Amino acid sequence: MADVLKSLSDDLANVVEAASAGIVRVEGRKRLAATGFVWSADGLIITADHVLRSEGLRVGLPNGDVVEATVVGRDPSTDLAVVRTSASVQAIPRAATNPRVGHLVLAIGRPGDQVQATLGVVSAIGSGRMDGAIQTDVVMYPGFSGGPLINAAGEALGMNTSGFMRGASAAISNAMIAQVAESLVRHGRVRQGYLGVGAQPVRLPQAIAEQVGQETGLMLASIESGSPAEAAALYQGDIIISLDGHATPSLDDLIGLLTGDRVGSQVTLRIVRGGQVQDVGVTVGEKQ
Amino acid sequence: METLLQQFSEAMADVTQEVRASVVQITDGRGSIGAGTIWHSDGLIVTNAHVVAGRSAWGDARGERQRRSLHVILPDGRQLPVRVLALDEAYDLAALSVEADNLPVIEPGDSTAVRPGQWVMALGHPWGVRDALTAGVVIGIGAQLPEMQPGREWIALNLRLRPGHSGGPLIDTNGRLIGVNTMISGPEVGFAVPSHRVMAFLKSALGDNGQAQEKPHPLSEPQVV
Repeated sequence: MADVLKSLSDDLANVVEAASAGIVRVEGRKRLAATGFVWSADGLIITADHVLRSEGLRVGLPNGDVVEATVVGRDPSTDLAVVRTSASVQAIPRAATNPRVGHLVLAIGRPGDQVQATLGVVSAIGSGRMDGAIQTDVVMYPGFSGGPLINAAGEALGMNTSGFMRGASAAISNAMIAQVAESLVRHGRVRQGYLGVGAQPVRLPQAIAEQVGQETGLMLASIESGSPAEAAALYQGDIIISLDGHATPSLDDLIGLLTGDRVGSQVTLRIVRGGQVQDVGVTVGEKQ
Repeated sequence: METLLQQFSEAMADVTQEVRASVVQITDGRGSIGAGTIWHSDGLIVTNAHVVAGRSAWGDARGERQRRSLHVILPDGRQLPVRVLALDEAYDLAALSVEADNLPVIEPGDSTAVRPGQWVMALGHPWGVRDALTAGVVIGIGAQLPEMQPGREWIALNLRLRPGHSGGPLIDTNGRLIGVNTMISGPEVGFAVPSHRVMAFLKSALGDNGQAQEKPHPLSEPQVV
């Protein structure tokens, strides 16, 4: 009987040890160091934006070496930062499948020379504005920020951050990291689309609601001068109900659709104006 | 066929059942003040210094009264008076002796081989609840943990230690003794003194063979009477 327990215990310690080869110490602030993990063997390391405070970033490698590193880019909105080292590093394996609520997970940190670990379960998978977040009950031990959340196979599921949600720990999923990291590597920043409208959710008139199949839309309260919205002749009082066919019942939906890859491209807004549904083409700008 | 989860659950219960015979309660005559771990069958018991010293500074009159009223309640119900053999304030350890023999001991484990992530269990009497178990994983080991003053070795634990777990055993999945539960840092993080540090304390305080009856450590300066 105790064999099961010993196997479980050995498995836990083994996945921690295996993952540790791709986990580094990030010395980017005066107080306690934090953690990062190797995203690709060409030297890209993922860490938390909020742990990079001081000049002269250094990274402590699993073999004990401490090397210089440079900041490639950082995105405070997701608390992600990408740093690069020219030293030889080994990438952590990444999970190919998504975690499910109830899965066992470990948070790994390397605030000192050795890795440290805490254990928990996946509590929830984020949706809506928290899309791309994995909520867990792992304890974020001091210096764990920027480290990986790993599954029972020792594969990274995402990056642990702290102070994102009160009373729970959250990790940024691999998919979100990949999206943000690509933008940071290519542009040095995360691009966000921009229309130049002030908008608020409103209840649609019943006839319109039945026609378009949604209860609410976003009424424009202001149009910024020189903005894409002004160029497209959007007016105060227009109600946006969808963008390229994706419904926008709330502001989060619209913000979620204004992704970096839409910057510079023409999108179709379906709006309600004067009681009529019509389509307006807009070229998405970039938020500065 | 039981699921892996069922096997896991049964195995935890089995290991707990094996070691609980070696966990004692320490009382000050009014109630339970902590746990202790039987270290030698001849009556040597290890607990934390803070359990037996209470809030009183060691050596003052209140501390003296409290020490005189210290008792150990064995798992079989026997209540025995305690002699304090030695204290180590730095590691928060105390060696106690009771008049008993053939006491069940927990098989010693190798606390120098503890690994981050490994599954461990802690027993004690939180809030006076007898032999309550909490389980979790080792966060890290050594003398360089972020929350602790450097220089002393600890096992940092991701489990729910509570007041009353102090002095109880930390065991591995084979039911082997790897530490003594000692400190809490927040609701989810605790610290244990690794058993190799306990052995070093006992060796320096009591001599090479760790026999309770030999070479008691002086508790105060000699007085002329």
